[in-house]
Amino acid sequence: MSVSGKREECVGPTSTSPPRFVITTIGGRYLAFEAEYIQGVLTSEDGEFLPAPVVKGMTYRVVDLAVRLNLASERRWDGTEVVLLADGTCRGCVWVQKVHGILEAHRSQVLPLPAQFCGPERGWYRGMVLFDHNVALVMNTAWVLEEQLEGMLSRTELQGTESAVALQGAMESKNQAC
Amino acid sequence: MLRTNGHAQHHAAPQSWHLLVFSVGGRRLAVRTLEVSGISQWREVIPVSGRTPFVSAVVRLNKTVLPVFDLAAALRRTMGGNSRLCLRVKHPLGDTVICIDEEIPVLQTLGLSMIQPYRDRDMPAEGSYAHGQEEVPILAVSKLGMGLW
Repeated sequence: MSVSGKREECVGPTSTSPPRFVITTIGGRYLAFEAEYIQGVLTSEDGEFLPAPVVKGMTYRVVDLAVRLNLASERRWDGTEVVLLADGTCRGCVWVQKVHGILEAHRSQVLPLPAQFCGPERGWYRGMVLFDHNVALVMNTAWVLEEQLEGMLSRTELQGTESAVALQGAMESKNQAC
Repeated sequence: MLRTNGHAQHHAAPQSWHLLVFSVGGRRLAVRTLEVSGISQWREVIPVSGRTPFVSAVVRLNKTVLPVFDLAAALRRTMGGNSRLCLRVKHPLGDTVICIDEEIPVLQTLGLSMIQPYRDRDMPAEGSYAHGQEEVPILAVSKLGMGLW
């Protein structure tokens, strides 16, 4: 496996570079995040985090991915780490059980979700990535941050700013990506 | 891994179906052999959260990842045994695997005259045949997970 050590800086891919993923575990399941959306990883010595960590002046609201993936019963774990995500102006963070590192994958290691999965989960995942003898599901960052974007939209609407139109357009493009 | 039962395939009349007979949670089922890709030992599944009925995991076979159709759950059966088998079938959307009982599947050839409509609606079936007092459904693989039964 070519999972390397943890890095906190964002990894920006080029059109020719192989896809890179941050491999994590949530509820005992391997979940991967596309490295280009990772802003950093927070590690807490005592396992306590603020509900919305602020990093470099940016607030990252918590996305409860365990609940959204129906892993709530498996949610308790030790050694919690937090993955900071950003997609454009939309930010959020995800509590994970463990961050294993970055996987630089060959194209042949990245597979689509089988077509037999025909429910809304097709919008939750971008596919699967193979490593060692395991499979990690690649999360769709747009879906992960969906609630944050909707929250931003609501706040903007309350403020009555003109940027609501732009945000609505952004959200529609996110939904199309799903 | 397979043993034959009844007529050998090469003696079958042209108007016949070649079937693989297996069981899921003790329930006997059949599937046409032309819809079977292979049988192997069952292996650890990788759960996939989602909302597709009876499709909630995958298995990795070397560089291939296949979805698992939970036929036992669809039939409300409980799988037993520690040496379950993996039945790989040809689904229109791509190969799918089904966990079956450890009992070794049996090849069987049936004349078309022995095949009747399947009366129950607990699974998609292409028909059924009588095995003593038991009605054995012939699984319609192409309709698995399609909600068409």
